[in-house]
Amino acid sequence: MATLTAQHPSRQSLRALLAGTWADRVLLLLAVVAIVFSWQWIQAEIGAGPPMVSVYHDDMLLAVYPLPERGNSIRFQAEGDIGISEVVIDEHGVHMASSPCTSQRCVLSGTHRHAGDIIACVPNHILVSIRGQSSPEHAAFDALAE
Amino acid sequence: MTTDTMTRPSLAQLESTAIWLALLMLAIGLHIFESALPSLGPWFKPGLANIITLLALDLIGPGAAATLAVGRVVIGSFFIGTLFTPTFVISLSGALAATFVMLLAWRVLPAVSLVGISLLGALAHMGAQFVVVEHLFIKQDALYYALPPLLLLSSATGWINGALAAYMSPRLKS
Repeated sequence: MATLTAQHPSRQSLRALLAGTWADRVLLLLAVVAIVFSWQWIQAEIGAGPPMVSVYHDDMLLAVYPLPERGNSIRFQAEGDIGISEVVIDEHGVHMASSPCTSQRCVLSGTHRHAGDIIACVPNHILVSIRGQSSPEHAAFDALAE
Repeated sequence: MTTDTMTRPSLAQLESTAIWLALLMLAIGLHIFESALPSLGPWFKPGLANIITLLALDLIGPGAAATLAVGRVVIGSFFIGTLFTPTFVISLSGALAATFVMLLAWRVLPAVSLVGISLLGALAHMGAQFVVVEHLFIKQDALYYALPPLLLLSSATGWINGALAAYMSPRLKS
């Protein structure tokens, strides 16, 4: 049985192993370049225009809302496969207030506000996505939140 | 008596099975531990259980690594109560894709160490999860908006997990 340890001298330190071999580093470089390039491409595609929140059930677009001004909020009930997911859109961003799923991961994922952010409730087949650039007002809130 | 002696497994086979079972128990434990960790994002986990798949690959071989990856997800999901739920399907698809890519890299990329193999496995795991969710559950392309940052995180955790596996493997052999 061929083992990879033949390529690594036995019992290298963890620091040396973290450096990887030249082939590992080439793979990492290729992966990072491809990921960053695709990320930039996606941001260019969805980052233009005012910030908008889209709510989908499978491939059906249920609603599109702009991120509201300070003090306003929108509550939308999205009917999915197992029940109703309640989406709240306010000046801070968008979050899932309630969901019929058992894991509640979508609810626990918190508030999202940046272009490209998504909230997915897989059991209920509901997806919430944000497109568009945050306004200066929303950007200021981002800075405060972070 | 003679037939029984002939079918009895050799000591090496028994040792290999014992190592596989020990690694499977470890992998299941890590799978359950990871499910209890706070989520860093949708479907993102550090992939600690994949360290054990890498160890199985290096210590026992590709077949053992593949069966361990599947066994870990099935038994681990049974214990955490997600067996046959969407979480299970997503987890199994990620584990299968990661194992397939790691075994392929093991065979065709001899210059790549466990670190690089783990990196490729982590990327395959994350990518497969998104493809499965997009095809089976949320049939919406917008899902992929979140993929690049999660792939970057996967690259980091895959790299570290690979280094940890490469650190542990020679120490377990001796």
